[in-house]
Amino acid sequence: MKHILVIDDAATVRMYHRNILETAGYRVDEAINGIEALEKALVKPYDLYIVDVNMPKLDGYGFLKEFRRQEDLSQTPAIMVTTEAGANDRALGYAAGANLYLTKPIKPHELLSYTRLLLGDLA
Amino acid sequence: MAFIKKSATEIDAVDHEHHREVKRDFAGLIAELDSDNPTSRRWAVRDLAHTHEACPELVARLSIESDASVRTAILSALAHLGGEIAISGVVNCLRSEDAALRNEAIEVLKEVPNEVESIIESLLNDADSDVRIFTVNILESLRHSNVEKWLISVIEKDPHINVCATALDLLSEVGSEQAIPAIKELKNRFAEEPYICFSADLTLKRIEEGVQ
Repeated sequence: MKHILVIDDAATVRMYHRNILETAGYRVDEAINGIEALEKALVKPYDLYIVDVNMPKLDGYGFLKEFRRQEDLSQTPAIMVTTEAGANDRALGYAAGANLYLTKPIKPHELLSYTRLLLGDLA
Repeated sequence: MAFIKKSATEIDAVDHEHHREVKRDFAGLIAELDSDNPTSRRWAVRDLAHTHEACPELVARLSIESDASVRTAILSALAHLGGEIAISGVVNCLRSEDAALRNEAIEVLKEVPNEVESIIESLLNDADSDVRIFTVNILESLRHSNVEKWLISVIEKDPHINVCATALDLLSEVGSEQAIPAIKELKNRFAEEPYICFSADLTLKRIEEGVQ
């Protein structure tokens, strides 16, 4: 079973993503900011990371930049899911190392389609 | 000759003394804000943190400061100094393209409820929906009696779904019975949005369980 880390400081957002992904058969862990996410990823790498941008302590861009510096994590897919919809924000997300940049609110079928796409789980 | 390595504490002490060798009067400290050395700039900020006259210079420095630790020191100093110039300087960071700076500003503003109180309503009506979202983020741990009232007002009136979603997330933690009608109305207003429906149901359940 593939394992996904959802990183967002909003508990409701984490629960929403967890609900969608677990219903589809994925295992989900949560982190409330970039620091906690890095700590978890370094102990046990995940198959996919779903990352918010604005979080205290270490934001999503900072997390991805640091994450991509780790040799064994540099190729793992990461989806940035955020309220920041501007072209510049999108560019920053991709520059930081996101494979996909999605804007909230995200619909369940969108989250699942992109997750399956990045994990190679499309039928 | 034997090489004796200095401990970190000794190095810090030497560093501290060195950077305090410059004249510590107002003009000297302001000049130090332009030093090439981030440690010198940080010490200058710390020494200016009790001088209200330094607010304009500290605010101006904030927009060009490249070192994260100096920036953090400036934000803390401005929050500590308070007053219109200092708080406006921190609030302006909410409009920055730099996510780290925005988040630092949010964290600092959470710590000064009395300074922020008078500007919350205007920020919640800002033309930029991102600023409105960051303002809701400030309310997250702002110890102020109006927090729930402000959040209810956001979900009743704000046209932007992500501003309402952020306010609803927070209401799921701090909301009481008085938020229930506005949450139900929000769910009707965004009935086609799965996230709002999920979050509204969760929040209503939490409030109702808390009431019983």
